[in-house]
Amino acid sequence: MRKTVQQWLEEGIVDLFLGYRAVEGHPIPWVFRKDALHELEAFREGPYRYPLEKLAVEILREDPRVRLGLLARSCTERAVTVLQALHALDRERLILLQEPCCPSPLHRGVVCSSLAGPENGSQKRRDGIPRGRPLEELETWEADERFSRWMHELEKCLKCYGCRDVCPVCFCDQCTLQDPELFETGSLPAEAPHFHLVRAVHMAGRCVDCGLCEEACPVDIPLRTLYRKVGALVRDLYGYVPGHEPVPLLWGPLGDGELERLVAGERSREMVWEAVRRCSG
Amino acid sequence: MDYKLVPSVCPYCGTGCGILYKVLNDRITGVLPLKSHPVNEGKLCIKGWNAHAYVHHPLRLKAPLLKTEGRFHKVSWDRAIRTTADRLGDIREKHGPDAIGVLVSAKITNEENFLAQKFARTALGTNNIDHCARL
Ligand code: SF4
Ligand code: SF4
Ligand code: SF4
Ligand code: SF4
Repeated sequence: MRKTVQQWLEEGIVDLFLGYRAVEGHPIPWVFRKDALHELEAFREGPYRYPLEKLAVEILREDPRVRLGLLARSCTERAVTVLQALHALDRERLILLQEPCCPSPLHRGVVCSSLAGPENGSQKRRDGIPRGRPLEELETWEADERFSRWMHELEKCLKCYGCRDVCPVCFCDQCTLQDPELFETGSLPAEAPHFHLVRAVHMAGRCVDCGLCEEACPVDIPLRTLYRKVGALVRDLYGYVPGHEPVPLLWGPLGDGELERLVAGERSREMVWEAVRRCSG
Repeated sequence: MDYKLVPSVCPYCGTGCGILYKVLNDRITGVLPLKSHPVNEGKLCIKGWNAHAYVHHPLRLKAPLLKTEGRFHKVSWDRAIRTTADRLGDIREKHGPDAIGVLVSAKITNEENFLAQKFARTALGTNNIDHCARL
């Protein structure tokens, strides 16, 4: 992989390459460049996961000419597709270098930080929502018990906004979670569960199930599970899976013909905006 | 274009979480948690996520200010230190060392905190020293 990156940079296929490099013993995101190829000596492959797409958006926005290579796991690819669908990045200037991903017995050699999550403690098993369990298993609890278990988790929230800040597909200039009409900033306890449900609704049609939010949550709230539920609803109701097609999820405002044209790749900003306008009356 | 991530330690409290400063063309634009740091293991509180916010803030103090006749004026470090030393000396002489209290901070290092208590006890001669983590 290091050789490929070197080749891409030397041959000018990309101007910059965003991957991982060991710095002071820490593998961290690093922008490699042709005029500093020696930095590739500390190029790292491993289970590291940072929101590289988010950094890519910043880089592409800063320099409207730069072509960027990006180390991409499967979740990175899905997030890039969502960002493209939402017109948040210029896909033409982004070239993905795929890493072996995602975990599956058919697909060996995968390393991913989400595979090594912490153990579920006894209290979590007793009162909360254990991590990494399939939705069907969690839904066997009665509604009351399920609610109290979820509240046990959500009431721990510190309102650090880390779930939003780390999320590759959260990039709104004005975030609803900081709307003073809805949520008081700088006050605890957090407004559970609406704080989390508002974010969950926003993840409908966006969340690519990368799990970075859950890894960043200082109080171990099983956010990935919460958004998986949202993802399942969107899949069942609209047949939409974020990250599969570079087309945004629109809540039913498109006619069949328009939808077909969109899926066939004939999409334009105007068409999407027209639909959004119609939708918002 | 120059874009770098720089490992550092959150300046806000004694926990000392590992952070990465996002530096775009020599300006710090944001923070990410340093996932391999043994203290925070990729998690931060809201202060850590915003540890960059003051760096380029227009209201950030970059030089000592001295208040004379009700207004703050920029002065040199030499003058600021001399004035502070003179005023502390005056207060100590007139009202005794216990008229002075020293408040230290989780935002400074252990060594700096140690020096501050040493200064309070031996130079000023008071045990009036406290720390924000205890207030
Ligand atoms: S799993 Fe979390 S961080 Fe990843 S896309 Fe979904 S909400 Fe964002
Ligand atoms: S939580 Fe919602 S409003 Fe906030 S950045 Fe994410 S999508 Fe945007
Ligand atoms: S990361 Fe966890 S603690 Fe922080 S705001 Fe999100 S849910 Fe709350
Ligand atoms: S991120 Fe929060 S807990 Fe960690 S050092 Fe900074 S202020 Fe302290």
